Amino acid sequence: MNCYPEFTCRLSTSRDEINFRWSRTKCELAKKFPGSPEVPAMADERERYFKDELDSSQEREKHEFKLNGGSFLFGPDREEPVGAATPMDVSESGLYTSAGSDIQSQKDLAEECLQEEFEQVHGEVRVPDYMSQIRQIIPGMDLEVARRLVEKYQDGRDVVSKAISEYFEEGPVAENKKPGNSNSPMSGSSGNDSGDGNNRSFGGLFVARGKRHKEITPRPAKRLKSGIEWRKFIGSLQVNAMATRPTLRPLKYGSELEIIKSSGGVPTSKLYNANGRKRVSMASFVKIFDTQQNREIGRLPEDVAQIVYPLIDTDDVIFEATMVFCENKRLSIGDGFVLQLDCFLTSSIFDEDKDGEHISSQSVRWGSNNSMVETEEELQSRSKKVGLLSLFDKLRLRIVDDNTDDMGGSTTNDDDDDVEVIDLDNENNQDEKLDSIVSGEDDEVRRLSSQEEGVMNLNQLKVFYKATQSSDSLKTLPETEPPSNTINLSLRKYQKQGLTWMLRREHEFEKAADSQGFQNIDGNMMNPLWKCFKWPKDMSWTAQRIQDHAETDLGKFFYANLHTGEFCLEKPVLKTLMKGGILSDEMGLGKTISALSLIFTSPHDSSSVDKHLFTSGNEDEGLSLPSSQSSKKPYAPKTTLVIVPTSLLSQWHSEFTKFNNSPDLYCEIYYGGNVSSLKTLLTRTKNPPTVVLTTYGIVQNEWTRILKMNRRDADMDSTTGLFSIKFYRMILDEGHVIRNRTTSTSKAVMDISSNCRWVMTGTPIINRLDDLYSIVKFLKLEPWAQISYWKMFVSDPFERKDYRQAFDIVNAILEPVFLRRTKQMQDIDGRPLVELPPKQVVVEKLTFNETQNTIYRHYLEEAETSVKKGLARGDLFKKYSTILVHILRLRQICCDVRLLGTQDENDEDLSKSNQLFKESLDVDRIYRKVGFDEKSDRLDLECLDAIKSKIQEKYPTPDSLKMLECSICTADPIELHKVLFTECCHSFCEDCFKEYFEFQRQKELDLKCPNCRELINKNYFFTLVLKGGEAPQVVPVREVAKPAKIEALLKHCTMLQETSPGQQIVVFSQFSSFLDILETELTNAFLGNGVKIYKFDGRLNLKERATVLEGFSTKDFDNQKVLLMSLKTGGVGLNLTCASHAFMMDPWWSPSMEDQAIDRIHRIGQMNQVKVTRFIVENSIEEKMLKIQERKRTIGEAMDADEEERRKRRIDEIQMLFE
Amino acid sequence: MASLPKRIIKETERLASDPVPGIGAEPHEDNLRYFAVTIEGPKESPYEDGIFELELYLPDDYPMEAPKVRFLTRIYHPNIDRLGRICLDVLKNNWSPALQIRTVLLSIQALLASPNPNDPLANDVAEDWIKNEELAISKAREWTTLYAEKK
Repeated sequence: MNCYPEFTCRLSTSRDEINFRWSRTKCELAKKFPGSPEVPAMADERERYFKDELDSSQEREKHEFKLNGGSFLFGPDREEPVGAATPMDVSESGLYTSAGSDIQSQKDLAEECLQEEFEQVHGEVRVPDYMSQIRQIIPGMDLEVARRLVEKYQDGRDVVSKAISEYFEEGPVAENKKPGNSNSPMSGSSGNDSGDGNNRSFGGLFVARGKRHKEITPRPAKRLKSGIEWRKFIGSLQVNAMATRPTLRPLKYGSELEIIKSSGGVPTSKLYNANGRKRVSMASFVKIFDTQQNREIGRLPEDVAQIVYPLIDTDDVIFEATMVFCENKRLSIGDGFVLQLDCFLTSSIFDEDKDGEHISSQSVRWGSNNSMVETEEELQSRSKKVGLLSLFDKLRLRIVDDNTDDMGGSTTNDDDDDVEVIDLDNENNQDEKLDSIVSGEDDEVRRLSSQEEGVMNLNQLKVFYKATQSSDSLKTLPETEPPSNTINLSLRKYQKQGLTWMLRREHEFEKAADSQGFQNIDGNMMNPLWKCFKWPKDMSWTAQRIQDHAETDLGKFFYANLHTGEFCLEKPVLKTLMKGGILSDEMGLGKTISALSLIFTSPHDSSSVDKHLFTSGNEDEGLSLPSSQSSKKPYAPKTTLVIVPTSLLSQWHSEFTKFNNSPDLYCEIYYGGNVSSLKTLLTRTKNPPTVVLTTYGIVQNEWTRILKMNRRDADMDSTTGLFSIKFYRMILDEGHVIRNRTTSTSKAVMDISSNCRWVMTGTPIINRLDDLYSIVKFLKLEPWAQISYWKMFVSDPFERKDYRQAFDIVNAILEPVFLRRTKQMQDIDGRPLVELPPKQVVVEKLTFNETQNTIYRHYLEEAETSVKKGLARGDLFKKYSTILVHILRLRQICCDVRLLGTQDENDEDLSKSNQLFKESLDVDRIYRKVGFDEKSDRLDLECLDAIKSKIQEKYPTPDSLKMLECSICTADPIELHKVLFTECCHSFCEDCFKEYFEFQRQKELDLKCPNCRELINKNYFFTLVLKGGEAPQVVPVREVAKPAKIEALLKHCTMLQETSPGQQIVVFSQFSSFLDILETELTNAFLGNGVKIYKFDGRLNLKERATVLEGFSTKDFDNQKVLLMSLKTGGVGLNLTCASHAFMMDPWWSPSMEDQAIDRIHRIGQMNQVKVTRFIVENSIEEKMLKIQERKRTIGEAMDADEEERRKRRIDEIQMLFE
Repeated sequence: MASLPKRIIKETERLASDPVPGIGAEPHEDNLRYFAVTIEGPKESPYEDGIFELELYLPDDYPMEAPKVRFLTRIYHPNIDRLGRICLDVLKNNWSPALQIRTVLLSIQALLASPNPNDPLANDVAEDWIKNEELAISKAREWTTLYAEKK
């Protein structure tokens, strides 16, 4: 508080802000340039200002007192300037305690008083300018201390700065005088200790500060109301009150006043509008009473009244008012006078909610007004909360940074309120926080100032992850070796550490290594909703003047939840009773293995199983639960439910079996129908399955069914399936599946009961920070699982671009339950967690074949026109989905024109009902339409027919076709599916001719038949089409031309087959129809010759998936195995380390999806160098997509704040595409 | 160097197994694209009884591009200059990938049999040829004996 050299009380509120800023600026100046002449100059100015203001006191509404004397709230050493108005009787010095010489202290006292009267005292003080300078900088500094300092340094240079630095460096010795003194009787002439702890010993010099005291009305210590054990000072306000009744005599300095609420029974609802704004002037309801005469004398200014009003009658806050200044004259109506308003918190406010679950009562307090009109009570409590907040704000109670108070007062400076060096920036932040909690009105400003939101977005995800992975603590986690009698697997170091962490999270301390006595896994993270406050030094009137003042020792801090108005003395530690957590290791670090090791290490709930055996020696008895308990789901203490994406089901199952080393443990796959009663199986059999494996789809299915049944018949007994049991443990693999909490899958998953709940996901955030909410909700991580909390503390700050707050809170939420390791992380010995063989990703640029090119140009033109129109009209956004269709088509053409007209199963933005899709897409028709005009079209067809018959004449029998020779490569005969005829009926290998064609084209030479040198037309090539068993058909090439990518893929496969046979190859594409085409093409190309083709996409059922994967992964040195994999279906979870070659047929918008896919291969277990080839068609939309991917990689795409921004960004991308 | 296309291997093999009469072509040990070629002078031509040495190189783009061929033995011929360069359409614009080493060499042999002074490369020779064919032919014979005699 010391950094505020002044405090301003005012009647008008408008200037508050400016004054506040002014004072702060000065404070900063003073700190930066100690001793600079500007500071005293300003002080003078201010004094003048104050005087002027006093003179013009006619205008009461604008009246502002500027009180010199530093922070009168906490500045313990400065007396209020009001003393200046009353004659000062130094002979009252019986009140002084003096350790120094009396004369000296009297002299000091004189100085002090003189200064306070704003007289020019400089002449009389020995070293006047230094003193005042120092005291400008540290307003609370004792005159005596200042004088000593000046004396010490005055002969040298830089007096002020030296003095100040000594002041800070030496750190006045803690005033640990225990309150023994303060208990001394009031009458004692040696009594006034002027408030315990006000004295400062400094540099070995003990100074008992003289305390000027006036003739004050002795005031008995107030009796506290019953039920209130103690009260504690939190600050004082200097208030300019206005007299409402004339007084006969001037009110005495120090006379006790009382603040009384006199709403006259007006209900709270009348005082506030429906929106919570106050309706009437509060000032008229808050009266100041003279307690001795028991009559009203005045009222508080409106701003104070507003704060005080809702708090007056509560037991939580006590106000004490003392008359301090009335110009020593009798008051007429309308006159101003100054009073000191001491504020205390009482024990009653701390009484509630002592346990960790602070929040539970909160919903009762504020949460229950669902669109109903607030009840009187609610309104009162809310206004009380607002009042408290504003009071705190007004008192400038400072939030103590949680991190610093963890020390628990072990630092030396900690005990002294006055020497705390306050980092102004920090202060700034804290204030802002408080502000934003209180008002939230500066949102506009914030929004305006965050124009560079792109910059803010930069790497937010990284920031988030960095914040959530406290790698240092992870490194030191002990390792737990899973028991070898159950698991047949050796874990990596970090996996063992992860196991320890997971066991601790499940409170299975005895199973985890080095966890004896390790009970509080959650650490002592403070609940981020709560703020820590330091009790200020008691500066209340009573404390300073009255000795009967037993200070209650309550520790140094108190804690308040400013959002709910709850208070607490003990640190509100976040206690998560929840068992489980989020294992968010990066892809490829073996989350599945970690989950399995957890299951195998702790297959049953030990506590429950033991108890079970103990209580019921007779098993049957224990199992036949009385029906009265049926409302509670029976507990399956031996079973872990694992929910996985369908594609991973078989992998999980096989891994379980692979690692299982115990005959008692087994895994059951639950398809919904295959187990008649899961409940019976799990709770009533002797050896229930250790793992029940099921998929999200099945869970969702069952849930919907039960929901329907319940709707029809409420009594329907639906309790045989997943929802009828409470599992021991539940694991969501690829848990980000539930990121949208409104989907039925998420809802279903959340409805399953389990003791421990786990989420495994490498990507907890896909698009939005809110993706985390679903996970938190699933984990039942209170209180965050309540959407209102999440919204208030995470979503809203994030939307306000208050990223720091949002991340802080998210971090606090997740810290105890979140474990993430990345491949880049190093273990304690500095070795990377995972060492994988190198990975090589090559972009192979391809060129369109003729057909593709022609059609592509056509569609590109169409799309460009459409985009340009959209941009010109500014309604690109409306045309959004149309444009996406255009783009989709271009992308499809890049793969294969035959894809045109099929859907893009991955693009949720694409409305399937889009008009453009309804256009029929006959490729041949399009090609003809695009390539030729009507007339030549007909000619063209005739020509084709003529050539066709010519060829057929020349080679009438299938046998004659088998004797063809290629003059280019001298192959003899040409393989039938590779034959190409020119219009002059000469035959070549397709590849040879293509090479020739390209060569001629590049050299700009005529295209002539190599054999007869006739000029030939590329449109009139023919080829043979073989359909099983039938005679080869002669068809125009352009109807069957292989798209560039298929060509390239075939070429690569052939090459691989030649160089290293028996390879396994994974081919990714996002279009499953393209996979179909590839399947046919590959089959045709190799005719089953040494190549086996597998296809894996969303259309396969579980069994088929398992078969495919198993078939593919079996090594076969005679056969090359090609797995055609849909990017979406196979992108996650699967382990395909048996392959070391991958081909990405088409690029996807987000690079992460492709990375995911590549990581199927490049992950733990991969022994060989991985080679990935990405096919990109040159000069096409795909090249631009690559650029967009690059961009996304740099700006951290995952943090797109919301749907709208995401769309906006995509429009940007569209523009990029058509630049 | 790129690996040897199948076609070159095949051609080389065939040149060895089924040689063209009067023509020899052997790849160099170190560079299979470089051939040492010998062509016998065609009967009833001024080059009869001469054995002409040539070098032949298959460029990387072969067979899309024509092979490069040059006479090493001096020869008096209107379509072959002093440096041994040959003016032959199939080696230039009339090349087609359907042609092979064998066919190219046959063409050269044919060129020896029927010089074409109207499309000359060696202008002085061509002039001689047109002015006084007999003299030219005898000079060619002379050169053949001088430079290309069978050893």
